Amino acid sequence: MTATEQMRAAEKPGQIVEMAWDPITRIIGNLGIYTKIDFANRRVTECHSTSSLFRGYSVFMKGKDPRDAGFITSRICGICGDNHTTCSVYAQNMAYGIANPPMAEWIINLGEAAEYLFDHTIFQDNLVFVDFCEAMVKETNPGVLARAEATASPRAEVHGMRTIADIMRALNPFEGQIYNEALRVSRITREMFCLMEGRHVHPSTLYPGGVGTMPEPTTFTDYLSRLMEILDFVKKAVALNDDLFDFWYDALPGYEEVGRRRVLLGCWGAFQDPNVVDYRYENMTDWGRAMFVTPGIVVDGKLITTDLVKINLGIRILLGSSFYRDWVNEEPFVERDPLGNPVDIRHPWNQTTFPEPQKRDFGERYSWVMSPRWFDERTGDHLALDTGGGPFARLYVTALAGLVDTPYVTASDGAVKISLPRSRTLPALDLRWSPPAWSNTIERDRARVYFVAYAAAMALHFLERAMTRLRSGDTRTFTDFEVPDETIGCGFHEAVRGVLSHHMVVRDGKIANYHPYPPTPWNGSPRDSFGTPGPYEDAVQNMPIFEENGPDSFKGVDVMRAVRSFDPCLPCGVHMYLGRGRTLRTVHSPMFGASHG
Amino acid sequence: MAPIRVGEPDVRPDATAHVSGVREGNALGSYEMEPGHHIDGTADARRSTGIRPRDRNPISPSMPNLPPG
Repeated sequence: MTATEQMRAAEKPGQIVEMAWDPITRIIGNLGIYTKIDFANRRVTECHSTSSLFRGYSVFMKGKDPRDAGFITSRICGICGDNHTTCSVYAQNMAYGIANPPMAEWIINLGEAAEYLFDHTIFQDNLVFVDFCEAMVKETNPGVLARAEATASPRAEVHGMRTIADIMRALNPFEGQIYNEALRVSRITREMFCLMEGRHVHPSTLYPGGVGTMPEPTTFTDYLSRLMEILDFVKKAVALNDDLFDFWYDALPGYEEVGRRRVLLGCWGAFQDPNVVDYRYENMTDWGRAMFVTPGIVVDGKLITTDLVKINLGIRILLGSSFYRDWVNEEPFVERDPLGNPVDIRHPWNQTTFPEPQKRDFGERYSWVMSPRWFDERTGDHLALDTGGGPFARLYVTALAGLVDTPYVTASDGAVKISLPRSRTLPALDLRWSPPAWSNTIERDRARVYFVAYAAAMALHFLERAMTRLRSGDTRTFTDFEVPDETIGCGFHEAVRGVLSHHMVVRDGKIANYHPYPPTPWNGSPRDSFGTPGPYEDAVQNMPIFEENGPDSFKGVDVMRAVRSFDPCLPCGVHMYLGRGRTLRTVHSPMFGASHG
Repeated sequence: MAPIRVGEPDVRPDATAHVSGVREGNALGSYEMEPGHHIDGTADARRSTGIRPRDRNPISPSMPNLPPG
């Protein structure tokens, strides 16, 4: 547990209380949230998000064989490492001028769909819902629990929970029915993943140019039988989530302001279509738009682009509050992209990482995370895009773009329609997700379960396509290639919790520059050189507090819900500092429920 | 490189990658070298076994040659 530093003097002594949660660990590193809370007005007045861990992948990737990139970058993350391998394969394919054979592409898509099913389920039901379970709500909002006891579940006929309080009890860690069922489902979905990518979470059968998975009939039927087994759970989960979140809005009027920020969303697209993708940069606009999750950027509810080339060229890595020295005076690696467009010195292709470890100072520099921003050439703004935890941005962009059209998922009329077939106990179900009015905690969490349904439905489509190809006798899964001496590549994918890009420069057959940009730098970035706060900070700052506890027994559950809605992974510790030198140290494991805090 | 004091490296950065003289799996022509793999993406029983593979091919040419799993 990190020692909590005293922040600068509060502006209004006696009213503003400093509160810090550090670390809120996530698998990729350490995250700390430092806030000032005005208990008189029940509002967060200031928030800083900080990371105390330096990884250095961009430093030690230099000089390595580019073919190793997928295996090394997989180790960035212990829960979505395969997303990195996949993204690296995409980047390397572009660099080597090759494409995966269609069967390999379907296999990767199936593996990634299983990863989304696994990761979203375990995060939502075993981690996010601890903040909404009976044990936690009893501690933080007893009034809400009393109301939940008296509120019937509108969709009880689907999920079987009579009241909202029954749902909350089912979410209790270790004891609750949903908590335990989710653990079983996450095991099945991991088995599905391993059928396609060999090993979870660092794939053993994913390489540039294809996969080493043997496409046998049983590879796909084993996957299909597991997928059909979890469909009941998925259908119940959507109904249950809708009931719980609808109740939350009713029970706590104004809760839509918790974790709310401008609708500034980025999605880099997922699931390549092998009939279109050739991994050539020159055609990236076309094959990007053919992806089964559409890439795009949404500003204030409007889709401003779905062009991956434009998205790529707009990426800027800003400093300002990060422990790094600037690289603007270095020689750029890539001055023009393969289409002849100029590439900015702040683009990942040209970035050089110069770490400068130093003391944390919230007035100056306070985080190891840099500040990725997207340059909006219409306005000249550097937009602090967030991913909405992943699903929110994916569904938002796909719905507005209206480009996805498959038998199980279609995007049209500004909405995404998901059709799940009949499963063991429940009939066929059609779901519809359309962009909500807010980008807030509840809607980020709600989108997660809808994307589980999306991934399950898409997996059915991929299975049908793969099995049709297999029945025709096509079993080719890999492509030969040579590593050029000089080349560049970029890969765009969706890690489970949002945008993921890998940018690679090869010189003398070795990596000269490699920059993976996963979702957490986007979401957890500190204030940039323009003073723009990162999305966590932006979402938490000025949000209202609904917890009924005062400063002495404050759990910060609303702040935690807001931060966790972005899916920053596993929270394991809380270290609170209450102003005027009094330190309340709570060794707190939310997995055990609030009563064990 | 970053101005951080570090020790002498024990290995070259690309040591994991390739041993000179060993054939690389990704080298051009590797697919054609694999037994039982056809250039059109199909395969025959030789892909799965070296023991009398022709006896294990489908009895009709119109049937797909699927791996045994």
